[in-house]
Amino acid sequence: MQKQADTNTEQQHDHAMFDADLSGAVLNMHLLGRLMHWLKPYKLSLFISTVLVLITSTLQILLPIIISLVAIDHMFLNESDADTPDFGLIELNTYLVDLSGLHPLFIACLMYGVIQILWAFTGHAHRMTLIGAVINGLRDLRLDLFRHLETRPSSFYDRVAVGRVMTRVTNDVEALFELLRGLGSLIGEFVPFFVALTVMLAINPELTVILLFALPILATATYYFRRMTRHLFRQVRQTLSALNQNLQENLAGLQVVQLSDREGFNLKRYTRINENNRDFELRSARVETLYGAFNDSLAHIAIGVIIWFGASQVADLEMTLGEVVLFTQFIGMLFHPVVVLGEQTNILFRAMASGERIFQAIDWDEKIHEPAEPVQLPARLDGEVRFNHVNFSYLDNMPILNDVTFTIAPGEKLAIVGPTGSGKSTLIRLLSRFYDFADGQIFLDGVDLNHIHSHDLRKRVGVVLQDFHIFSGTIYDNIALGNPDITRERAVDAAKTVNAHDFIISLPGGYDTELTERGQNLSQGQRQLLAFARVLAADPEILVLDEATASIDTETELLIQDALRRLTQGRTSILIAHRLQTIQEADRVLVLHNGRVEELGTHEELLAAQGLYSTLHSLQFQEPVADEDSA
Amino acid sequence: MFASLWRLRVFIKPYRVGWFAGIVAFGVARFFEISVILLTAEAINLIAEKNYDVLMPVLGIFGAVVARYIVVTYARYAVRKVGLNVAFDLRQQLYSSLQDQGAKFYAEHSIGDMMTRAVADISLVYRLIAMGTILVVILVYATLFGYGAMLYYSPMLTLLLLPPMPVVFWYAQRSSLQMGVASQQVQERLSDLGTHVQENLSGIRTIQAMVQEENEIRRFAHTNQNYADAFYQQGRIQSAMAAWMPTFAAACTLTILSFGGYLVLEGKMLVGDFVAFISLVAMVVQPFRVAGFIVNLFQRAAVASDRLFEVMDLSPEITDAPSGNTPAVISGDIQFNHLSFTFPGSTEPVLKDIHLHIRKGETIAIMGRVGAGKTTLLKQLVRILDPAPGTIVIDGHDVTEYPLAQVRSQIAMVPQDPFLFAEPLKDNLTYDDPNRALEEIWQAATSADLKDTIEDFPDRLDTLVGERGVTLSGGQKQRATLARGFIRHAPVLVLDDCFSAVDTETEEHILSELKRLRSSQTTLLVSHRVSTARHADRIIVLENGYIREVGSHEELIAAQGYYAELERVQREGAENENFAGTRVSS
Repeated sequence: MQKQADTNTEQQHDHAMFDADLSGAVLNMHLLGRLMHWLKPYKLSLFISTVLVLITSTLQILLPIIISLVAIDHMFLNESDADTPDFGLIELNTYLVDLSGLHPLFIACLMYGVIQILWAFTGHAHRMTLIGAVINGLRDLRLDLFRHLETRPSSFYDRVAVGRVMTRVTNDVEALFELLRGLGSLIGEFVPFFVALTVMLAINPELTVILLFALPILATATYYFRRMTRHLFRQVRQTLSALNQNLQENLAGLQVVQLSDREGFNLKRYTRINENNRDFELRSARVETLYGAFNDSLAHIAIGVIIWFGASQVADLEMTLGEVVLFTQFIGMLFHPVVVLGEQTNILFRAMASGERIFQAIDWDEKIHEPAEPVQLPARLDGEVRFNHVNFSYLDNMPILNDVTFTIAPGEKLAIVGPTGSGKSTLIRLLSRFYDFADGQIFLDGVDLNHIHSHDLRKRVGVVLQDFHIFSGTIYDNIALGNPDITRERAVDAAKTVNAHDFIISLPGGYDTELTERGQNLSQGQRQLLAFARVLAADPEILVLDEATASIDTETELLIQDALRRLTQGRTSILIAHRLQTIQEADRVLVLHNGRVEELGTHEELLAAQGLYSTLHSLQFQEPVADEDSA
Repeated sequence: MFASLWRLRVFIKPYRVGWFAGIVAFGVARFFEISVILLTAEAINLIAEKNYDVLMPVLGIFGAVVARYIVVTYARYAVRKVGLNVAFDLRQQLYSSLQDQGAKFYAEHSIGDMMTRAVADISLVYRLIAMGTILVVILVYATLFGYGAMLYYSPMLTLLLLPPMPVVFWYAQRSSLQMGVASQQVQERLSDLGTHVQENLSGIRTIQAMVQEENEIRRFAHTNQNYADAFYQQGRIQSAMAAWMPTFAAACTLTILSFGGYLVLEGKMLVGDFVAFISLVAMVVQPFRVAGFIVNLFQRAAVASDRLFEVMDLSPEITDAPSGNTPAVISGDIQFNHLSFTFPGSTEPVLKDIHLHIRKGETIAIMGRVGAGKTTLLKQLVRILDPAPGTIVIDGHDVTEYPLAQVRSQIAMVPQDPFLFAEPLKDNLTYDDPNRALEEIWQAATSADLKDTIEDFPDRLDTLVGERGVTLSGGQKQRATLARGFIRHAPVLVLDDCFSAVDTETEEHILSELKRLRSSQTTLLVSHRVSTARHADRIIVLENGYIREVGSHEELIAAQGYYAELERVQREGAENENFAGTRVSS
């Protein structure tokens, strides 16, 4: 036992970390490597996509070659350079002209059209295979993430806000998609870059090298631009969200604002934030516009250089005019990848943070400790429950349960009462193994709970919680919960026994009525009855009920009390009771106070004892108690 | 619909110089851009004629590029600046307008709706100004200069380039419609996904208790797949656009290659002009590609500005029109003169013929069931709701004759809903006047029995409350709002059911403090507890908008009416309430 306590403390999780800012590295190769794990099943698609991008990029290069080398050089000027890497297009043109006897210009148009269409098809196919693989991979990742979250214990969800967890499944996975698509588009940029570069080097290495000098200039400008804007964009985002937050809060508390005559002051404060935001917007606009026209200006300068240098090369018969024109058309392909690379860094930056958050969630190994060799429970338990010196606290130095010891005989009905915060709910949470505990034991028919697998245990202990969760699906689905043993007949029987049948068949679809997740189409009382039907159909040996405190109309209340009586018939039952009738019908009553068992006995015994129970009885249980202070 | 777009000119007007300068500059930039193409063509023609001295055109290109860079950078910045300034002004005006609205307006409009206007609608107007209108200008220039240059080279070839344009326009339009549908689908499925996860995790305890994890994972896989499908569909449309848009535009290139090539071979066109044509095609196709986008932007911005003007056109709900002859300080004598009140859109009055004189220094308790009209009565006193003329008279003057600021600062009301701002506690307590002395704050906190609570907080008065800070319990919040009211030492203090979450013992303590501090000042308080009301000089029982009973505790007990009945029920449950009290404070 001591050993287990040790592992528990060792495994203390700092939940604040779950929301903390992470390492913030821009490029985390380890993270990309992990991401590949989810893409592996689609490696064939990715391979095909890569082959297609090579084809489509080459086709993209061929189009300007038709214009400049086939049309201008070959046809208009009739001075083709034999060494020009024209991909055999001139020969093809000549061959087709000979074959068909059509005009060379017409054949060139035909070639252009066919290549253009092939380019469109291969490009489309490349993108679709890539996107398909990425979408599927991320779909799998999202499912794995969900599977992981689904099995985290209560101690995790006590501390971590559901909304925060949710954004990991949605927004963060989304950001990874942007990352992978970005990487894909970079491939689509760099392949034409290298093909074009090869052609240019083959035509005229000197001019190509001269042009390549522009790249470091462009890269430097892009780098500094991104660095400046990253900072500014963040400021813009922050001031904008401050602006919206300010407005939102001002509207929410407008009455107080008006009563305190603060409109003027608040407007001034808003103005300051608004000015702040505008100033950052203006600054980032200045940087953006300065950079925005820089790329094409540099490209235009490069065209000037090509013509100036090209003219002398043509004079020396080193180049043809068509080759000069080709260079001017390739300039875009040479410069564009650098620009795209710059655009991608911001996405990369965001995606890295998202990836870290996702993997942090997937790596979050907080879980209920399952026994290494779980005890096989018999097909049917007798239903004896024994708490033996159980101590428990959620946080260090704030004990919730204190040396709790008691035994419930098979088939006994035990009501637990006590003020808010006395530990009632914790008691049943431990019994259904929502939390690990090391100090003390709970026995089920003499078997230590910690030696039973939680899934097995939860099938034996049926819990009806106050906040009854409705699953999307029909009424029948909600009773059977996917258990194939629960036939429709059995479900109807269960519903009849707990007085739910009548209201169910009065619904438009009867047992096939679709319920929404929040169950808006059912009343509080109906939901309670449905919860009873669900637990009765599952037929657990031990029933745990956290009685709902919400006020329910008298008629339904009677139905519920009657149903509860049948539900607990001959079944070990632990009832966190709020209604006097429930308590009076229990075999014994356990009074919990500040995590201790204060009193234990029958209703009459405890009343006679004149202790805490008799006080509670006279004060609290006259009417259903509204538990409005449970916070 | 476009009327409100036209009204935006009022907001652009202060920045019209920058606006027009930007528009002119865009034209100049286009001119330089065309120059680069023409000079390139000129140089190619020279080389084709075996004249290799291209220094002049090349220098011309360099000059045009530098000039264009400067002009276009200026133009883009100037126009964005106008957009940002307009957005700034719109935000300011919207904020003021929203602050001037009150109970009536917010009964019909949600805060979420107003936030959408402030965020999404203003951003749409900004985009229209900084992008939409500029896009129009750029495209007009592109068409003018592009076709101008083409006509100069070859009118015939230019005409032949027109037929493919409607096809490009049709395809662009069709794709953007499809894209809109697909994006919406993706948004919906993404929101389904989020809702699914959110609801699932909210019920995680039941799911685990019922061993439903596997079923839920299967169900999620379905939602997940739906989303992936929608996403794939969107990607397909995007990719198809990227493939076919240039292919349709290539029809133009083919026309140039065939007919232009024919002209070159016939010696009717120069090679450089042929190259220039190919460069110019991109410029003239652009308007057809983005026309749909621009129309869409204008439509959405029109709707957005409609929604903005709807709010900004509202006059303040409460008009501040002081008569000037009212006393500077209210002493606290309040006269309700046959006051009735009906909410707009309702036929049944909430208050009926309330006639009552409250003397300076009196403490009045107001009781009655939910919906009896208690809050409505108090709200009119501080003009959160406007009373009919002459129905509320303070120190001999109609309440509407006082400056609004004076009414609200000298009649301090603590509303029912204990609202705290997400700011440090200190700023919340001194909300009416941030310059209050520390001593005053502690005094008010002590009176509201909040001192110990504050001292328990790690950052004491600097403790941040709300979502990102400490979450206060209902009772703590109420005591904080009470302190916020006490700190003002107003001649009239109005407490609207401010003790409901405070236990009776604490309430007793706060009330006795009140009695000590405010013995000579007027106090009105709404309560459901007889234990609270009995301390008042007079008790008023409202029922269905009428005053049903008025008198002291003893008088009303003797009258054997509603109050007496209430007293009996609460006395019998008194211990019960004490017990509830200890529960709250524990």
